[in-house]
Amino acid sequence: MRVRPITTIKTVVAAIEGAGTGIKLFTLADPDHWELPPFKPGAHIDLHLPSGLVRTYSLCNEPADNARYVIAVKREAEGRGGSRALHDEVGIGNVIGVSLPRGGLEPGAGIARHVFIAGGIGVTPFLSMARHLARTGDADFTLHLVVRQEAPLASYLAPLIDAGRIVVHYTSRGGRPDLASLVGEGGSKTLVACCGPESMIDDFERVTATWPAANVHIERFVAPPPVIDPDAKPFMLSLARTGTEIQVRAGQTMLAALQEGGIDISTSCCGGICGACKVGWLEGKPVHRDRILSPYERERYLMVCVAGSEADRLVLDL
Amino acid sequence: MLDKIDTGSAQRTARLGWTGVVRFLHLAPRAFLPMRAMEQLTLVAGKGIEGDRYMIGREEGFYSHKPEEGRQVTLFELETLIALKRDAGIELGPEEHRRNVTVEGVPLNHLVGRRFWLGETLLEATRLSIPCRHIEEITGKAIFDPLINRSGLNCRILRDGIVRVGDTVRSAA
Repeated sequence: MRVRPITTIKTVVAAIEGAGTGIKLFTLADPDHWELPPFKPGAHIDLHLPSGLVRTYSLCNEPADNARYVIAVKREAEGRGGSRALHDEVGIGNVIGVSLPRGGLEPGAGIARHVFIAGGIGVTPFLSMARHLARTGDADFTLHLVVRQEAPLASYLAPLIDAGRIVVHYTSRGGRPDLASLVGEGGSKTLVACCGPESMIDDFERVTATWPAANVHIERFVAPPPVIDPDAKPFMLSLARTGTEIQVRAGQTMLAALQEGGIDISTSCCGGICGACKVGWLEGKPVHRDRILSPYERERYLMVCVAGSEADRLVLDL
Repeated sequence: MLDKIDTGSAQRTARLGWTGVVRFLHLAPRAFLPMRAMEQLTLVAGKGIEGDRYMIGREEGFYSHKPEEGRQVTLFELETLIALKRDAGIELGPEEHRRNVTVEGVPLNHLVGRRFWLGETLLEATRLSIPCRHIEEITGKAIFDPLINRSGLNCRILRDGIVRVGDTVRSAA
């Protein structure tokens, strides 16, 4: 019997190849080469590395190439450790858990012209979109890649560079290109997107400040903080049987806070209908959002997957 | 009151009945992976479906940490997919509901506790499936609420065999 729930997609490292100075391409696949969960061009996944680190990388292959996830990783010697672990410790055949793919752009969607602006390794989020658009011909696109003197993933990009779909700008020769001229005129059928260092993103935001938000997309190396319900407030959970205090952050579920605190809670539907996570409460003012407890039961129980708290403190019978 | 009703009496006088058909078969070997359409599935009595994540002993499903002897094969009504489109405007494919067998003409919610033939295999319905947030996470579609009370049926396998698309489903009562 399995004790721990499965929370990630099991993949094995099927290939590792060098792709320019300090860059490796990792191909992740199901152990039986089963199709992997689908993704949109430009989507990213979290890798749960053997050391426990969790790091996010853009998928570089096309959505139609559905039995593998390909990521490009630049070794950052002074980074937070994820790229070093991948470069130095991960080998072919290693098992890596990954998240479901998130984000990405909906190809088509009324857009006739795409302009992608990438700085260095920031090219990765645009690779799957560029290849998808090049193959399907659904919309026009140009990918401007700004590098100091060496383009990352050179052999990977070569067919699109030769076809004129990727334009490489070398700052060591010509300085930084004028983003306004690269972006061109706006319009409802044009989508512009940028991924690169903060200074490049700042310039890009200035250049596109008057554009409609729906036509501008920015991809950051570091994930932005999650969007939190403006009315959500943090509160404290007090566990009566152990005396433990656990903080529930604004917008976080009670269930997630308890699990973070190492409390083992039985769950199943996570939508307030199955009853698996029913817990007694003793003091406070719970906000019940389940669909099954009667008013009488709500006087004593709550479902931690969906319930909240009106008061600053809630005492649970745990 | 309900315990005094003989549910077999109407069957004897009015010839109540149904016959259904297997429309789609799907399985996946591990949690999160897309369900793959199959022309046939091999059902093993007391165990599950060969190659499926919930086969007892394999335990590679999202809910395998909550083992359940009565979850060897799961069924779903084609009529629910049609109703989702008609009533909620949600297009959900038979590969997306993550149950193994999509049937047409089978009143799944009436079968809890009963035995029925799925092709050459004999099943016993153990409980109704319930919707879960996991399926919303995988499909990206808001289907939790619309699937309440019509999320399929969990069964144990009493007699094993091969189930094929097009097979007949009929009561064993």
